[in-house]
Amino acid sequence: MTQSELADSIGMTRQTVAAIEAGKYSPSLEAAFRISRVFGAALEDVFQWTDAH
Amino acid sequence: MSFREISAWITLTSVLGCFGVYFGSLATGQVRAPSFATLHLLLLCVSALVVLQIGLHAVAARLVPTSAPVLKDEREQLIQMRARGLGYYVLMSGVLALAIPGHMEISKIDLLNFALLDVVVATLVVSAAQIVMFRRGV
Repeated sequence: MTQSELADSIGMTRQTVAAIEAGKYSPSLEAAFRISRVFGAALEDVFQWTDAH
Repeated sequence: MSFREISAWITLTSVLGCFGVYFGSLATGQVRAPSFATLHLLLLCVSALVVLQIGLHAVAARLVPTSAPVLKDEREQLIQMRARGLGYYVLMSGVLALAIPGHMEISKIDLLNFALLDVVVATLVVSAAQIVMFRRGV
């Protein structure tokens, strides 16, 4: 799946998806759930949090 | 680069260019206020700004068609909100600073030009802040 396809499926721009992947933007909870649903995975499988954040 | 970021660049450069000409002409004494020459220059600069904004945004919408018609997503809304908040503080600081020349013996036209400069600077700050946040992250 490309960034554009993911962006279209969750109602965001490709640049926002790129920023999320690059760690330059933390999505809202709703957006995070949408992304997880697209991949058919649990939220914690798609997004991780470490103490380094 | 998204349409919103391109829009911020367009605003930054066009406002800087158009009002740079106006205030530069005033500062260097090429036109002296109050005069019809100053008024004509201001109207010319504002007209040029409007034409540039409309034209360049139309070009940008054609170049980046996928993101242009899309409503602002949450990241773009956050960037815009934070940038406008910063611009608000700059604008209010300038308004308060107008009290200084306002109590001096300067003409009404000069006071108006100071106020216009305040608005221009606030607009530039908003655009610059948006560009920085688009580039570096929010």
